[in-house]
Amino acid sequence: MYYLCLYSYITVVFCVCVQPPGENYANPRICFFHVLFKAGALAFYILSALFFDSFVIIFVVTVLLSALDFWVVKNVSGRILVGLRWWNEIDDNGESVWKFECLDQESLARMNKKDSWLFWWTLYLTAVVWIFFGIFSLIRFQADYLLVVGVCLTLSVANIVGFTKCRKDAKKQIQAFASQTIANRFQSTLQSAFSVV
Amino acid sequence: MSYSERDTVPLNQSSQSDIDEIENLINYSVQSGPATVLPARPPSPPRASIPVSSSPFIASNLPPPPQKPASVPAAPPPPSNQNRNANVGTNGQQSGMTGFGSPPNTLTEPVWDTVKRDLSRIVSNLKLVVFPNPFREDPGKALRDWDLWGPFFFIVFLGLTLSWSASVKKSEVFAVAFALLATGAIILTLNVLLLGGHIIFFQSLSLLGYCLFPLDVGALICMLKDNVILKIVVVCVTLAWSSWAAYPFISMAVNPRRKALALYPVLLMYVSVGFLIIAIN
Repeated sequence: MYYLCLYSYITVVFCVCVQPPGENYANPRICFFHVLFKAGALAFYILSALFFDSFVIIFVVTVLLSALDFWVVKNVSGRILVGLRWWNEIDDNGESVWKFECLDQESLARMNKKDSWLFWWTLYLTAVVWIFFGIFSLIRFQADYLLVVGVCLTLSVANIVGFTKCRKDAKKQIQAFASQTIANRFQSTLQSAFSVV
Repeated sequence: MSYSERDTVPLNQSSQSDIDEIENLINYSVQSGPATVLPARPPSPPRASIPVSSSPFIASNLPPPPQKPASVPAAPPPPSNQNRNANVGTNGQQSGMTGFGSPPNTLTEPVWDTVKRDLSRIVSNLKLVVFPNPFREDPGKALRDWDLWGPFFFIVFLGLTLSWSASVKKSEVFAVAFALLATGAIILTLNVLLLGGHIIFFQSLSLLGYCLFPLDVGALICMLKDNVILKIVVVCVTLAWSSWAAYPFISMAVNPRRKALALYPVLLMYVSVGFLIIAIN
């Protein structure tokens, strides 16, 4: 337990000290909520064993906070902090289609660096910490705590995978758009050059 | 990670400056004829300040001078405390999946809209699956907008109810109920898929979770009234209701000759949950 507290303290200190360059947060409240539920779930998981005897409360509250965090990241902070969104649709043929969307390039380029830094860092860091706790409970042969960690980890990883795919998609779109526009420009330059001559 | 934006921004700017050059070439050639030669590359303004438009590069004039970058366009109101309390208070698990709206609409809509949309999706899915309605013949259409939040909430609620009814070993009852239902749903879905059925993984998980609703109701009643006869009757009724709810979706998904193979495990799982409800004291 002491080591858990120590590690969590180190993590928090690390996050605070390693800051990105320059500007301030553009959406401080969204950033706050983005971090709040993640930190809440982790903190509750760590500290609850000190205060609560009942596993049920620990499970329900931790998983609830984790699920709220999943929803917030997916629907709110993903949209606002990095301009990405992913979801699943079932088309008319009954096939499942994963959709990824992003804002257009100007808005993407306009996104606050600090916001997106916070977004991505906390996303990956939370998953790493949950894996850590999973290993802990595996070592201690606590199957029920492993269940909690498993559920929270699944939620974190789902968001990571979704947003990473979304970002790759966005980059591909940007490159495709840029190269297509350059091609169009060359074409119209040639056309105007020939027409003027 | 920290490289996330740096990857895209330099790409943007270098291609932007090329495009600037080309654009200026066009402008000068159109305006002043072939005799003039562009003396030097004009400095390209930082692109981050260009207002959003559908065709940013096709501009007849040079882009406007750089402005102070504003915050994200149409920044929706951040979730308020009231939002959080309302969500937790109603115990509505918000859906994570949305399926419609053109990109600007769903990306820039206010948070409260998202919450309302997800909550109404849970309610409509519940009505489609559990209550009689004309769409039951076509399962694909019925659960088109699947979501996992309804099932998640129902499983947790069932676990809580069972745990509350138990006088001893509450934690184990809860953990067992949750694990049983979650892994049971996954395994049943795999079973349908392995039998050659055409069902989408998450759709099936969603369905099996929503079909737990009658058992939730039954467990709640059993928790409130401790009469054994009443419990048996209530559990039988809700069990039949759950099975009736799950039947069309599963049977439609597989080959008719394998219907029983796909349905039997589902019924088995619900029966075992029913026994758990009766046996808890």
